[in-house]
Amino acid sequence: MALNPKILANKPIGYRLSVLWLGVCAVFSIFGELFPLPAWDYSNPDVLGVGMFSPGHIFGTDYIGVDQLSAIIHGTRYSLGIAFVTVFFGMVIGGFLGILAAYRRGWVDAVISMYFNTTLSIPTLIMVVTMVAIFASPDPFNPSTTIPRVFVVIIAITFVLIPVLGRLARSSALSWTGREFVLVAKSMGMKPRSILWQHIVPNVLPAMLSVGFLAAGVVIIVEGGLALLGAGAEPGASWGSLLARNRGDISLIPHTTFIPVFFISITVMVLNYFGDYFRNQIDGRESRI
Amino acid sequence: MQKLIRTTQRLSQVALVLFFVTFLVTLLVRLLPGDIATSLLPFGTAEEQAQLRTELGLDTNIFVYYFDWLRNFLQGDLGVYYNAGESYADASMTVWAMLSLTIPRTLLIMVYTLGFSLLFSIPIGMLLAYKADTRIDKVISNTLFGLSSIPNFAVGLGLAYIIGVKFELLNPIGYVTWGEGSVEHIKSVIMPVLSLSLGLIATFARLLRADIISTLKEDFVTMASSKGLSNRWILWRHVFRPSSLSLLTAAALNMGSLIGGAVIIEAIFALNGVGMFLVTSIALRQYLAIQSTVALIAISYIVFNLIVDAFMPKIDPRIRSHHGA
Repeated sequence: MALNPKILANKPIGYRLSVLWLGVCAVFSIFGELFPLPAWDYSNPDVLGVGMFSPGHIFGTDYIGVDQLSAIIHGTRYSLGIAFVTVFFGMVIGGFLGILAAYRRGWVDAVISMYFNTTLSIPTLIMVVTMVAIFASPDPFNPSTTIPRVFVVIIAITFVLIPVLGRLARSSALSWTGREFVLVAKSMGMKPRSILWQHIVPNVLPAMLSVGFLAAGVVIIVEGGLALLGAGAEPGASWGSLLARNRGDISLIPHTTFIPVFFISITVMVLNYFGDYFRNQIDGRESRI
Repeated sequence: MQKLIRTTQRLSQVALVLFFVTFLVTLLVRLLPGDIATSLLPFGTAEEQAQLRTELGLDTNIFVYYFDWLRNFLQGDLGVYYNAGESYADASMTVWAMLSLTIPRTLLIMVYTLGFSLLFSIPIGMLLAYKADTRIDKVISNTLFGLSSIPNFAVGLGLAYIIGVKFELLNPIGYVTWGEGSVEHIKSVIMPVLSLSLGLIATFARLLRADIISTLKEDFVTMASSKGLSNRWILWRHVFRPSSLSLLTAAALNMGSLIGGAVIIEAIFALNGVGMFLVTSIALRQYLAIQSTVALIAISYIVFNLIVDAFMPKIDPRIRSHHGA
C-alpha cells in the first residue's frame, strides 16, 4: 500500500522520507541474510577497527573485526522486532484492560486503574531492569533459567507498556462511551458486547495506532538504555547492545558507537513522525464528526 | 465541605497507590532469582547463608516481611546496606547514608535540567506561536521535532565524545560537589544537564507553542487586543498563564521521571545518582535499598503531581469554575 506512488504523491516530503526509511529497515530485517556480507558475529582478524568507507566495509569494523554494516542489518531485525512485538502485545492486553475499565466502570475500573497507576509510579527503566533481572537470572551462582535474552527483554518491556497503553485506551474509550450514538445504540437495546465492538473499539483503535508508533519509538530507546546498563539483548545483537558493546572504544573508533546511535535516532524520529502525523489526521477527522 | 471530601478521597487514593507500589516492589524483589545471601556470601556454607536469611527475615512469609519493612520505613528507618562479611547487627552502612550521598546529586541535576529547559523553551515556544506558520516557525518547529526524538543517551554520548574526548574541554566522567569547588561542580554537571535538557527543551517549546496558538483564538485575547493593549503585554499577561498548563504538567511529570529515569545519563557520565544506586542495588540484591528507594521515588513522583494539581487553579482561573477537571 505504502509503495503505491499515487498514495504517496500528495503526501508531505517528511512522510515520503519516513516511508522510505521504514522500508529500508523492513528490507534489512526481513532479507538481512541475503546481503553478501560477513556474518554479524563473524570476527575477521585481518580487518580490526577499520574506519568508515573502507573497501568491503562501508561502515568499517570494530576491534574484533566485525563488519558494522552486517551488525547494523542484523540489529535492525532485533530492535524493530522487539519494538513491534512489545507494542503489539502491549496494545492488545493494555487495550483490552483499558476499554474494559472504561466500559464496565465500577469496581472493575477501580481495580484496573489502580493497577495502571501503581505500575506507572515506578520509573520505567527501573521497572524494566528489575523485570529483566527476574526473568533472566543473571546471578552467576545460580544460572537456572536459559531463556534467550531477547525474550527476556520483550517480556520485561511488555509488562511496562501494558499500563501506559492501557491508560490511554481507557481515557480514549471513556471519551467515546458518553457520545450520543452510543446512547442511541444503548436505548435501541443493542447488546453491550456489540456496542463495544461496533462503536467503541473502531473509534479507540486509530488513537491507539498513532500512540503505537510513539510507543515503538520509546521501546527502541528503552532497549538501548537497557543495553547500556548491561541488561539488554545478546551482546551486539540489537542496535542497543551493539552500541553498548562499542561504547568502550569511543575515543579510538567513534564510528562504531555513532552508527548505531544514528540508526536509533533516525528510526525513533520516523516513528514519532508517523505517530504525530496520524494523530493530526485523527484530530481532523474527529472535529468533522 | 465538598472540597474536604474531595481532598480526603484524593489522599486516600494516593495512600492506596503508595501501598500497592511498595508491596509490588517487595513482591518483585522477593521474586528476584538468587538472593542477598548468595550475593554476599557466595562461598559461604549453607548454614551461614541460612543464618543471614534468618537475620534479614527472609524466611518469614512475604506479608510479615513487608509489614516489618513498612513499619521501619514509616519510622524513618530505611534499612541497612549490607556489605560482605558483616552481620545484621553491626552493618556499617545504612541505606539512608547511601541515599544522602546520591539524592543531592540527582536533585541538583534535576533542578538544573528543569530550570535550563524552561529558560530556553518558554521564549522559543512564545516566539514560535507569535510567528506561527511563518518560515521561521516552520524551520525551528521541524528542528525541534527532530531534537525531541533524539534519545538523551545519544546526546550524552555525542557530547562526551566531542567535548570530553575530542577537544578535551571537560572531564567526561565524575561528579564534583558544590563544596569541593563551585566552578568544578558546574563543569561536572554541564554535559549531563545538556544531554537531559535538549529533548525537554524541544518537547516543552512544542507544547507551549500549541497551547499559545489555541489560547490566542480565545475571545478574551480579542478583547484585550481591542482595548489597545500592546502585543507584548497580552502575550505575557493574558496568554502565557493559561497556556502554561500542559507545560507545567509535562514539567512535573518529567521531574518525577527524572528522579529515577536519568539512570543512563548517570551511567554514561559516572555520576552515581539515585538511579545508578538503584541499578547496582538490584544487581547486588540489596533488598532493603531497592524497596526504600523505589518507595521514596514513587512518593516524590506522586507528590509532584499533587502539587501541580493544587496549583492549576491558581494559574488558570478558568479551572476554578469547573470542579475536578
